[in-house]
Amino acid sequence: MTVATANASTVAVPSSRNSLWWDAFRRLKRSRIAVISFVVIVAYVVIALLAKFGVIFADVSVPVGAQYLPFSGDHPFGTDVLGRDVLGRAIHGAATALSVGFIASGIALLIGITLGALAGYFGGWVDNLIVWLYTTVDSIPYILLIPSLTFVLGRGLINVYIAVGVTSWVTLCRLIRGEFMKHKGRDYVLAAEVLGASHLRRIFRHILPNVAHLGFVQFGLGFVSAIKIEVILSYLGVGVDPSTPSWGIMLDDAKLELARPFWGNLIAATLFMFFLILAFNLFNDALRESLDPKLKNK
Amino acid sequence: MVKFAHRLSGVIAFTVVAALSFSGCTKKVDDKDTTLTVPLVVNLKGLDPIQADDLYSNMVVRNVFEGLYEYHYLKRPFTLQPALAESMPEVTDNGLTVTIKLKKGIKFQDNACFPDGKGREVVADDFVYSFRRLADPKSISNGFWIFDGKIKGLNAWIDAVKTGKADYKTPIEGLQAPDKHTLVIKLVQPYYQLNYVLAMGFASVVPREAIEKYGAEFINNPVGTGPYMLEKASDWIRNSKITLKKNPNWRGQTYPSEGEPSDQAAGLLADAGKALPFADTLVFTEMIEDQPRWQNFMKGNLDFAVIPNDNYDSAIKDNKVLPELTAKGLSLDNSTAVEITYIGFNLKDPLLGKNKDLRRALSLAIDPESYIKTFDNGRGIPAQSPLPPGLEGYDPDFKNPWVQFNVAKAKEMLAKAGFPDGKGLPEFTLESLSSAKDRQIDQYFASLWSAIGVKIKSSSNTWPQFQEKIKRNEAQIFPFAWGADYPDPQNFLQLFYSKNFSPGPNDTRFSNPEFDKLYEKSLTLPSGTERTELYKKMRDIVVEENPWIFLRTRKEYRFFHAWVGNFKWNHIENAMFKYIKVDPKKRAELKGKL
Repeated sequence: MTVATANASTVAVPSSRNSLWWDAFRRLKRSRIAVISFVVIVAYVVIALLAKFGVIFADVSVPVGAQYLPFSGDHPFGTDVLGRDVLGRAIHGAATALSVGFIASGIALLIGITLGALAGYFGGWVDNLIVWLYTTVDSIPYILLIPSLTFVLGRGLINVYIAVGVTSWVTLCRLIRGEFMKHKGRDYVLAAEVLGASHLRRIFRHILPNVAHLGFVQFGLGFVSAIKIEVILSYLGVGVDPSTPSWGIMLDDAKLELARPFWGNLIAATLFMFFLILAFNLFNDALRESLDPKLKNK
Repeated sequence: MVKFAHRLSGVIAFTVVAALSFSGCTKKVDDKDTTLTVPLVVNLKGLDPIQADDLYSNMVVRNVFEGLYEYHYLKRPFTLQPALAESMPEVTDNGLTVTIKLKKGIKFQDNACFPDGKGREVVADDFVYSFRRLADPKSISNGFWIFDGKIKGLNAWIDAVKTGKADYKTPIEGLQAPDKHTLVIKLVQPYYQLNYVLAMGFASVVPREAIEKYGAEFINNPVGTGPYMLEKASDWIRNSKITLKKNPNWRGQTYPSEGEPSDQAAGLLADAGKALPFADTLVFTEMIEDQPRWQNFMKGNLDFAVIPNDNYDSAIKDNKVLPELTAKGLSLDNSTAVEITYIGFNLKDPLLGKNKDLRRALSLAIDPESYIKTFDNGRGIPAQSPLPPGLEGYDPDFKNPWVQFNVAKAKEMLAKAGFPDGKGLPEFTLESLSSAKDRQIDQYFASLWSAIGVKIKSSSNTWPQFQEKIKRNEAQIFPFAWGADYPDPQNFLQLFYSKNFSPGPNDTRFSNPEFDKLYEKSLTLPSGTERTELYKKMRDIVVEENPWIFLRTRKEYRFFHAWVGNFKWNHIENAMFKYIKVDPKKRAELKGKL
């Protein structure tokens, strides 16, 4: 028994963390769906970056022809009300969406991990305070909380990052808190304490690497939901500034244009969103499975 | 997080499904219900006539409140007729004394503010009270400009009220009620627009009892003399709809028997002599977005609607209504509005106010022709000056040198203004409204201005917020429109008179001593060539100074259903719904088939 426990904690100490990630990567690579999804995501990122740095569709704010041109080789999704290329706007919309996904869930990750770690590690009044904070945030429906935040902050990309970021850390915080509570009493942490490691060192050097996979999975989930929130907010007119290309604004335009009928904005925004979110969801699933120690031998 | 996934698909699906479902369901329609349902394109702030300084508020307010005069429903050019007055005013003393006799037996609407809840008779003192209330600095009305500096002793009374030396009991020389049914107005100098302004909502009569009972809440509890009334406060659901019921105390009026020559053939005189109002109930529904509004109209839930720009091609071809629509019994009423739409600059802004060349550059970058093509299906007249088509002094050949789409020249002016290619300019803020169409228009302006290097950020507002920002001098650049209150272009030129600063109607804070001098002189003149010449001189100053980017005058295309009768849009008189008739049997028969 004693031997087994000792072994278990050896596996968990930081020095062997590389093998955990390597294992995960190996399992991920074996899943075809994960690989395809990853390729799709990378393709989105590459196209978005190319557009952002002006290699393709450098300026999509200028008209390229008359308004509402039908679909054609030059303009696969036609042109919008101001004669701008819809495909180009959809690609720039991808850049907007990805940036929101990345930065907003980055903010959420930072807040969630920090607060979750502090609450779980220290317990006591720190825990009470943080639990109170996240229950309060969580009790307000997102669909009311985020738009009201952007109302206060004003429209704009940066405000969307902030509004989404500061409201979507609760789940991660809760998970990390639970894990920290579990881990702080483990032998390897006690050993670190005996060796004179400070609180911060124990939190960040010892425990965090053992629970970081949760952050990874949660980051992916948060990414998808942040993209969707950006689209909703922009659709409702409280998201990005109208001059920023966004799928939400394209859908808002489509609302008027269906009467014409002009389908370009609706189809382009929906397709772009569909494939990105599908790819992300499939990849997230695969990632979670590969990082889950319980499924290790699968 | 999952909550969003559902919400998102819900939002998209709703747009599509809503469009489909409106054409699918059939519901039994009451064949005795004469309700007229009127769409409003903005949310309303309230129903106090002295606060109703916009078209939409007036469309509602004018059914509840009345003044001394109103415009004939059918006649063009627009002609005044007595409303609460018995006849047109009697002018004596070289135009300085105006005597107005009131109709006898006019009653206020029944309301809890009166003893026993029964509306009492309207007397001349009520007008004196209502005009004082308009002038009272505590009321902060946007409409006092109609009497500002015109009536003897009124401005002095305001000053005295401000210092606490006078109240509503202090007599005013120029506002007197010698008997119950006579109102005497004494003027500082002849006021040739007096009859016109007495026909505006601002000059409506309100009962003192209601103001004393409701105070600031009067805006939600209107009590007037009009053909319709807000029976109970709950009939107004904020940001949704207002239901007005027929006022049993109304003075009564009959449908006109004269009109324009073409009105006879259009069947607009068939109801001559019949008692008004025709509809028992008026419902105003606030629908900001174009498509729900239009779909509701097509389904018969609204009795008439302006055709949105996106639906135009599916309704009209080569200026003819398509047979699919005529088969459904839809008719078209088209008319040119008496208005100028523009983009206003806040001239108190340190940058925009002092730099005429900058304003010119911004104006030269805007293309009214393409605007009309992009957003109005070509239905509009590019505006060149503050004098609108259809009014005195309008010259169709007049060309404003700063209204032309000329990017090269715009860049040149921008360089002259000290900002070559926009270098050194901060980002400007364009105040706007929240609908999808408004957002598209903002983007359009932003893209034209970015072509010369000027950056614009747009800020979206509700209609009351938007107006409030402009009134409080907080808006920097704002697209706006001025529709005529009365058929005299003085109504447009007063927007540039420096004494009409906010809360008056001079929203740009335009101030030019020479303009003021000409304006004041024009006020002393009756209509005629001499005055028209002054108007043109004022026009030239405004064009030169560029406080506005002139956009266009809209040609409005309104469709109405086969069950709607006597429909002829009146661009000056907002109290027009009492004339419009709904045939409930026909509606019951046709609505199910739509």
